[in-house]
Amino acid sequence: MSTDVLVIGGGIAGIQASLDIADKGGKVYLVEKTPSIGGRMAQLDKTFPTNDCSICILAPKMADCYGHPNIDVLTYSEVVGVDGEAGKFKVKVLRKARYVDETKCTGCEECVAKCPQKVPNEFDQGLGERKVIYMPFAQAVPRVVTIDKENCTWFIKEKCGACKILCEREAVDFDQKDEEVVLDVGSIIVAIGYDIWDPTPASEYGYGKYPNVFTGMEYERMINASGPTGGEMKRRSDGERPHKLAFIQCVGSRNPQLGHAYCCSVCCMFSTKEAMLAREHHDDIDSTIFYKDLRAFGKGFFEYVERAKNDYGVRYINSDATVQENPENNNPIVVYDVAGRPEKEEFDMVVLATTLVPRPDAIKIAEMLGIPLTEFKFFESKDRILAPMDTVREGVYLAGYCREPMDIPEAVAEASAAAARAVETVLAKGVTG
Amino acid sequence: MEPEEQTPETPIEQEEQAPQTPVVQQEPIAEPPVEPDEEAPETPPTPDSEELRIGVFVCHCGTNIGGFVDVPAVVEYVKTLPNVAFARDNLYTCAEDGLTAIRDAIKEHKLNRVIVASCTPRTHAPLFQGVCEEAGLNKYLFEFANIREQCSWVHMKEKEDATRKAKDLIKSSVSKAALLVPQEEMKVDVVPRSLVIGGGVAGLSAALSVARQGFDVHLVEKEGVLGGFTRNLNSLSLGDKSAEDTIKPLIEHVQAHENITVHLNSQVESVSGFIGNFDTTIVTNGSSKEVKVGTIIVATGALEYIPEGLYGYGMYDNVVTLTEFEILCKSGKLPKIKNVAFIQCVGSRGQDKSYCSRICCVISIKNALYITENFAEIMGEEGAERVEVDVSVPEISSRRRRRRRMVSAEGEAAPGPAPTGGPEITIFNRDVTTYGADHEVYYNKAREKRIRFVRYTTDNLPKVTQEGDKLVVNYYHETLKTERKLQADMVVLATPLIAPPDAADLSKKLKIPIGRDGFFLEAHMKLRPIDFATDGIFVCGTARGPADITESVAQGLGTASRAAIPMARGFIQAEAILAQVDPEICTGCGTCEANCPYGAIRLSDDGVAEVLAAACKGCGCCGATCPEKAIQMMNYTDDQLLAQGRSILQGAM
Amino acid sequence: MTEFEPKIVGFLCNWCSYAGADLAGVSRYQYPPEIRIIRVMCSARVDPMIVLTLFKEGADGIMIGGCHIGDCHYISGNYHTEKRAFVIRRLMEKAGLEVDRFRLEWISASEGERFASTVAEFTEKIKELGPSKVMEDSDLASRVGAAVDTSLDFRIRALLGHEVGMIEDGNVYGEKKTEDEMREIIDAAIEDEFRRSLILEITSSKPASAKELSQVTKLPTDRIVEHIATLRQKNLLAVDHIEGMTPYYVALRVGGD
Repeated sequence: MSTDVLVIGGGIAGIQASLDIADKGGKVYLVEKTPSIGGRMAQLDKTFPTNDCSICILAPKMADCYGHPNIDVLTYSEVVGVDGEAGKFKVKVLRKARYVDETKCTGCEECVAKCPQKVPNEFDQGLGERKVIYMPFAQAVPRVVTIDKENCTWFIKEKCGACKILCEREAVDFDQKDEEVVLDVGSIIVAIGYDIWDPTPASEYGYGKYPNVFTGMEYERMINASGPTGGEMKRRSDGERPHKLAFIQCVGSRNPQLGHAYCCSVCCMFSTKEAMLAREHHDDIDSTIFYKDLRAFGKGFFEYVERAKNDYGVRYINSDATVQENPENNNPIVVYDVAGRPEKEEFDMVVLATTLVPRPDAIKIAEMLGIPLTEFKFFESKDRILAPMDTVREGVYLAGYCREPMDIPEAVAEASAAAARAVETVLAKGVTG
Repeated sequence: MEPEEQTPETPIEQEEQAPQTPVVQQEPIAEPPVEPDEEAPETPPTPDSEELRIGVFVCHCGTNIGGFVDVPAVVEYVKTLPNVAFARDNLYTCAEDGLTAIRDAIKEHKLNRVIVASCTPRTHAPLFQGVCEEAGLNKYLFEFANIREQCSWVHMKEKEDATRKAKDLIKSSVSKAALLVPQEEMKVDVVPRSLVIGGGVAGLSAALSVARQGFDVHLVEKEGVLGGFTRNLNSLSLGDKSAEDTIKPLIEHVQAHENITVHLNSQVESVSGFIGNFDTTIVTNGSSKEVKVGTIIVATGALEYIPEGLYGYGMYDNVVTLTEFEILCKSGKLPKIKNVAFIQCVGSRGQDKSYCSRICCVISIKNALYITENFAEIMGEEGAERVEVDVSVPEISSRRRRRRRMVSAEGEAAPGPAPTGGPEITIFNRDVTTYGADHEVYYNKAREKRIRFVRYTTDNLPKVTQEGDKLVVNYYHETLKTERKLQADMVVLATPLIAPPDAADLSKKLKIPIGRDGFFLEAHMKLRPIDFATDGIFVCGTARGPADITESVAQGLGTASRAAIPMARGFIQAEAILAQVDPEICTGCGTCEANCPYGAIRLSDDGVAEVLAAACKGCGCCGATCPEKAIQMMNYTDDQLLAQGRSILQGAM
Repeated sequence: MTEFEPKIVGFLCNWCSYAGADLAGVSRYQYPPEIRIIRVMCSARVDPMIVLTLFKEGADGIMIGGCHIGDCHYISGNYHTEKRAFVIRRLMEKAGLEVDRFRLEWISASEGERFASTVAEFTEKIKELGPSKVMEDSDLASRVGAAVDTSLDFRIRALLGHEVGMIEDGNVYGEKKTEDEMREIIDAAIEDEFRRSLILEITSSKPASAKELSQVTKLPTDRIVEHIATLRQKNLLAVDHIEGMTPYYVALRVGGD
C-alpha cells in the first residue's frame, strides 16, 4: 500500500493539488512534461477581473511547490505506464534527459548567452526566439536550463559544445540518458490542462495568411513586459504598433463543424481584459470585440465588462465575424453583420479568441489510466453532479480544464477538491488494507 | 500520509485537550534544532551571553558576481567592519563545498550571525538558513545580501561602482545582523474538528469529505431538513433523476457517517478565537451548545431574487419565477400550459443587481426542455386536477408563499380549451450564457428541440401584459426591427441568486468580508477562491456567488481539503516574523486592529493589543501605523531598518 | 570636484517590487548603480518616520516600491502605503525638502524593465536636484527634524490609521467621510502638529520668544501663541526666562529623543 499521490500536470491546478496534499503531510510526485512548472498561467500577462499580474501571483506558488519537502517535482518527465489499483498503483515515469545536471546548474544562463543557435520560442507562442540551450521563461521553476536535443548542433553533428566548455559548474552533460523510474502511489490526480487550437484551418479568419491576425495567447505574450517584444504590441507586417484592435470571439469554439461544439468559458473575459490592457498601454488604442453571446458569468465579470465599456471605451458588437485584408497596408478587414446587413470595418490588428482544446496527450493518458473521455476528449467524470472529481477508476481523480472548460479560480477550487478525494482514498485504503 | 485515526471519541474529551489561547507569548514549543553530528556546539550562541561574531560569505557565483565585482576586495573590506569575526569568498556558496564552509566556520569561529552575499534571498534564503540550523544557529540570525540580481548583473559595465555597491549592501546587512535576535516559530495546536455552516449540497459535500479525511464535523442547518436550495428544484440539467433523488445518497452518507454530528433547526450563535481554536455556540430550538473547532466552512447558500413589480410579477397569476416554476413542476401543480415565455436577466446584469447570475440560462433551458419532454403529461387529464399547492418548502419566503396561494387560488391557471400540437417555448435573453461543455451541449439540444431564443437589449425590454385571459409578451425584434407580440400561458422570470439577509450577521460573527454583490468575498479572486483572508475559515457553494450544483460540490470538496490541512498537521506553525506589542507602551487605541487585514491583532481584555500568532502574516502594517510605536515587526524592526539605512548613507570607503 | 553621487535608498516589498528588481537582474537590464536596496516584507512596513529620519540624516533620495494596487500580497498593505506616502510628501513640503526626492512606485514581479527604467529616471532626477542640503543648512535640518517628530505624533498616526475605516465604515457614530474630507482633516492636523514640532525643535536648542518663533516659522504671532498654549498644556514647553515683558520659551523633552 502506498499513501503517496501522483499528480500529472504542473499547471496551476496540479500545483494547487500538490500543495494541498503535501501540506497535510502526504508525499506527492508532481510530473510535468515541460522543463518548468507553471503551465498556461505563467504565460498570461494579467488575469481578469482584477488585472492582477499573473506571474506575480503564480511565482510564489511555484516556488512553494518546488521547495516543499513533501513534493518531488519531476519536470521534463512523462507518465508512460500505469498498473495496479487504488492504494497500489505502479506508475512508470520517463525522465527525459535535459543534458544538464539539475543539481549543478545555477541558472546563470551564461551558456544561453553563448549558445549560437536560435529556434522559435514556444513559451512566447513562437513570436520570439530562444536558444537551443534555454531557460523556458524568466521565472521558470526549477531555475535550470535544458538542451533542446532536436536542434542542438552537438547532437546533430557533434560540433559546438560551447555550453559545456563554458559552464564552470560542469553542469552540461551530453551523455545524460533518458531514464525510467517506477513510482508506487495510492492515488492519481490528472490535471493536464489545455492546448491552444491553431486556427489556420479556419481560413475565414485569415490566421497564418494575413500577418496582422494574432491569437489571444500571442497577444498575451506580446503585451507582457517580459515577453518577446518587451510589452509592445507590434504588427507582424511592419513592426508598427496598432491603434485599432478587433477581437473576434468563439474562433473554432461553439462550432460543431470544427469539432469544438463547446464554449471555452474564459474567452469573453480574457478578450475583455486584453482590450482593457491595450488601452492601459496606449490610451489612443480603440478596441472592438465581436461576440456571439457575451458570457460574463463569474464573480465580478459583468461589472468588469461594464468597466471595459465605460472606462476603457471598449466597443462590443454582437455578430459573427470573419477577416479579409487590405492588401495595400496589410490591415485586416473584419466582415460582420448588423441586423442581417453585412458590414465591413478596417482594423490594424485582429486578435482571435481561439478555442482552448484538450491536449492530444489526453487520449494516451486516458488509455493508460483506463478512463473514458467525453465526446470532446475531456476527461469524463464518474458522476457529473455529485462526484465531478471522480473517474470510473477508483483512486484516479480529475481537476481543472482537462475535465471541463473553466477559469483559474475554478481550476484551483477543483484542484483542492481532487486533493480531498485523493487523500480520502489513500486514507481509506491505508486503513482497510 | 499519516492516517488520522486518533480522532477523540467525544467532543468533551477533546475540549479538555484543547490548547490555551496561544497569544503571542514567545514560548518556544518548537524543538531545538537537530544537531547533525556530535561536534556541534552544545549550546547555540545567544546574543545576550556572547559578543557579536558575524561571519560573512561572499560568493563569486562563478563569474556571475566575480566577473563584475572585485570579490577579494569586498572580502577585505568586510573584514574591517564592526563585529565581523570572519569573512571569506566562495566560488559557489550554494554548492556542497560552499555550504560545508559555512558549517565549519560557524563552529570554528564561534559565529553567532551569518551573512551570505550572493544571489537573491527569494530563492536561496531557505537553503542557507537550513545550513545555519544544522550548525546549531537559529535561522533568524541569518541575513542575506543580494549582490547578483541587484548588483553584478545590473552594473556589468561599472566594476568599480558595482564593487562599492556590493560593499555597501553587505555593510547594510552587517548592521542589520548585529541587531538580529533569534526567533522561534511558535506552534499552536489545532482542534481536529470542523464546523460546517449550511446543509445544502456544498455543505454536505464539504462535511462528508472532512469526515472521510478523519475529522469530526458539526454540520449546522437552520431548517429542519438537509438539502438546501436543491430541495426546491424539480430536475437537474445533468443526469436523469429528480433533484431530490439525485442528492438523496449524499444526504444519507452524511447522516450515516460516524464523524458527523448534524444539528437541524440550528444556528451559529457566536464564534470567537482563531484558526485551530474557534469557540462556537450552536443554538438548537432555544438550547445552546458550545463546540470547539479548528476550522469553519461557510456554506450558507443563496436565495432567489423576488422580482416584485417586474414583468407583471405579483400582478398576473401566471407570471412566476424560475424556482416557483420548478416547485409547481415538482409538486405536480403545474397548470396546463402550451405557450411559455422565459425572460432571462430579470433584476440582474446591471438591473437591480449588477452581476450575471451564471446559472439561470441553463436552468431556463432545462425547464424549457422539461416542458417539451413531459408535454403529454402536462397537458393530460391528470395534470388538469389542481389542488392546494405545497408551501412547506422552507426556502420560500413568506412573500413567495403569498404568490403560491395566488397560483393555487386561481386553480385552473391554464386557459380555455386544451391546446393542440407541441409546446411553443421562447426564451428571451440578453446573452445565452451556457458556458463550458456540459451547458453548451444542453443549449444545442434545446435549439434542436425548436425552443426559440430571442435576444433583447436593455434599450428595449420586453413587457408583459394581459389581454383577456392570456398573457402577452410585447417585445422588439432586434433583427426585424419591429415590435412583436407573443401570447403565453405562463411567463417564467429568471431572476438572480442573491445573498440571504442573514449573511451580514454571519459576516460580523466570523469577521469575514462581503463583496459588493452581497456574497462572501474570498481571500483572492484567482488563487484563493475558497479561502477567506482570515485563516481557518473557508467558503463554498452559492454563499460565495452563483454556482451550479457540480461547482457547489467541487467547491465543497475543495474547502474540505483546505480545512483538513491544519487539522492533518495538528498544529499551526506560526510565522516567526510577526508583530510584537510592547504592553507597557500600548494605550489600547485600536488603530492596529483597524489596519490588520487578517484580524490577527486585537484588543485584549486588559485593554492592550495582542497578536494572534497563528493568524499574523508579518506584513508590518500595524507597526508602521501604531500611534504609540508600541508594535515592532520581528526581523524588520525600526532599529534594524534605520541601521541599514544609516549604514548606506555613511557609504563604503 | 568629483561628480555628485547621490545616496539613494530603496525600500522594496518582497513579493512584487523586490522580485521585479531581481527580474531586472536576471534579464540583465542595466541601470545606474547609486541606489541601495533594503528588503521589507510589505511596503506598508515602511513607517514615514523611517523615511523622514533618513532624509534628516542626509539621504538624497528615497524610493518605496510596492505591488500594484489590488495585487498586494497582504491584501491591502499597499493601500496603506499610499496613504502614508501622502503624509511623507506633505511633511517634506512643510520642511522645505524637495518632494521629488521621495518616490512611491508600484512595480510588479514581471516588470524588470520598468524597475530598471524607474531607477534610472529617479537617479537622474536626484542628480538634477543635487545633494541634499540637510547636513549644511541647520534651519532645514530642524524643519526636517520637526517633520520626523510630526510623523511620530499620536494624532497624525491615529488619523492615518483610521483613514480607510473612516471612509468605508464611518466613525463610532456611523458618520462616513469622503476621501477628500479625510485628506482635509489630516492636512489640518499635519499643519498644526508640524508647527508645534517645529516650535519644540527650535526651542530645544535655544529659548525663543513668540515673535522670534513667528519669524522662523512664518506663522502669525496669534497662531504661535495658540500653539504655545497647547504645548504648555501638554507640558512640552515652559517659560525659560522673561526679557523685559517678553517671555522666552524652552522645550521640555521627556525621556530622550
